[in-house]
Amino acid sequence: MTELSLRLAVSFAQILAEMSIVMITVATMTYFERKVLGWMQDRMGPMEVGPYGLLQPVADGIKLFFKEDIVPAGANKAMFALAPMLTMVVSMIGFAVIPFGPNMTWDIFGMRIKPFVVADINIGILYILAIASIGAYGIILGGWASNSKYSLLGGLRAAAQVISYELNVGLAIVGVLLLAGTLSLVEITEAQSGGFWHWFIWGGRPDGFFPIHTQIFAFVVFIISAVAETNRIPFDLPEAESELVAGFFTEYSGMRFAFFVSAEYANMTLVSCVAAALFLGGWNAPYPGTILEYAGLEQLAWVEHIVWFAAKVYFFLFLFIWIRATLPRLRYDQLMRFGWKVMLPIALANIIITSITLYFFPRV
Amino acid sequence: MTFNAWIKTVTFYDILVGMKATMSHMLHYKSVTLQYPHEKRTLPDNYRGMLSLLRYDDGTEKCVGCDLCEAACPSRVIRVVSAEVPGEPTKRYAKEYYMDMTRCLFCGLCVDACPVDALGMTREFEWSVYDKRQLDLNKEQLLAIGDRSFPVREKQLELQHPNVAFFNVAFKHLPQKPS
Repeated sequence: MTELSLRLAVSFAQILAEMSIVMITVATMTYFERKVLGWMQDRMGPMEVGPYGLLQPVADGIKLFFKEDIVPAGANKAMFALAPMLTMVVSMIGFAVIPFGPNMTWDIFGMRIKPFVVADINIGILYILAIASIGAYGIILGGWASNSKYSLLGGLRAAAQVISYELNVGLAIVGVLLLAGTLSLVEITEAQSGGFWHWFIWGGRPDGFFPIHTQIFAFVVFIISAVAETNRIPFDLPEAESELVAGFFTEYSGMRFAFFVSAEYANMTLVSCVAAALFLGGWNAPYPGTILEYAGLEQLAWVEHIVWFAAKVYFFLFLFIWIRATLPRLRYDQLMRFGWKVMLPIALANIIITSITLYFFPRV
Repeated sequence: MTFNAWIKTVTFYDILVGMKATMSHMLHYKSVTLQYPHEKRTLPDNYRGMLSLLRYDDGTEKCVGCDLCEAACPSRVIRVVSAEVPGEPTKRYAKEYYMDMTRCLFCGLCVDACPVDALGMTREFEWSVYDKRQLDLNKEQLLAIGDRSFPVREKQLELQHPNVAFFNVAFKHLPQKPS
């Protein structure tokens, strides 16, 4: 009994730590995105609240918390309330299987815990795909329950778009799964240790440098589909502010609106984490081992691993903003054509080619 | 599709050019915007801001109540009630003068129309109010705006040229500025 409660307490502590990290990242992203977007468009971005607008996320949070919560007339109240919660929860629980740091164990109170991954389940990537698909329900429900034509159109677009691009995400990572031979994100990351040429984006075999199993096409497909799946510009048709007001969350206000927005940023962070773990070696440094290890500080090597993981994730997050600052929105038929006629064949061809090369040049 | 065009398509060449442009804007960041309430841009000399009624240097109003500004105004901002100056039957003045600034489009036609230069456009533009009725200005308010915006009642430099000053009815009695 005491052991069970202790385990529960440790798990809750881990979940709380993980959630606060994600929420801090989301708050940072709301500031960082506006700032970077401003710089790229020769503006300043937020400057009023705090020095250089640093407290803007806090001000936004307070404002959204105290805003009036409007439920439109004729809306399906239960669904209307459910949709933002569903989106938010789903975007947060995906992080459970993401390994932030090395696969080490700590012994606390006679228990063995993994500090840098909340749940090291052996079907990690499958779990993320399943959870991410549920996120689409939140968007569709929110669009449908609002009793507004713009919301409904946004929800319909989201349904078609998320499903088509979810397929490409799933097919793009099959090559990586073939190489790693496992579905666990921890083991996939560990299989890429020992220098950047072992990352699955290059796919060098453990006994050589030659990138025979390169997954760079899968990587490109994954990144583009991830942008589409998180409904970001240039694939932001579900919220298309110039056509559909705000798409599926047109009728939402206050905290529910904040839920949708933070879910979007959390989803961005999630796909960035997955991209970093699958293709860019996760917490592995681009050189073999770690500098701290060579300096004789083996106990602190995990710090370097975490810094590398954060650097990769933030690179992807910056890429999201960078793309947003550059590209205009696609037309709907272009979006569908691109997803089904370009991305899908590339992903399928990548699976075939990876399988063939893996058959003739197996990884040891 | 030529081979070059195909290469450009599969390597996302055009997108990369665009992303290079946005990145170079961020790296050579120089803001074109101002932190408005804290820093304000310098306004041009011929800025057409808030309208005002002017006085002569001795403090008497320039306005002779001729109604030409009211006739010139395309938005019917101005309403003049003209009257004789008491005791001087040859002279008239604006007994009441109203400007409904909610309708003004700052075209400056009234200023052009005024034969005695009794109207002026100041550089004030921060006239947002909570109550719309505060923008229906009467003569005293318009004169006050003129007093604080034109403490020295001299013509603008380009209007002091002799050729232009010939039409400058209001300053006929003043000696011309040496050019």
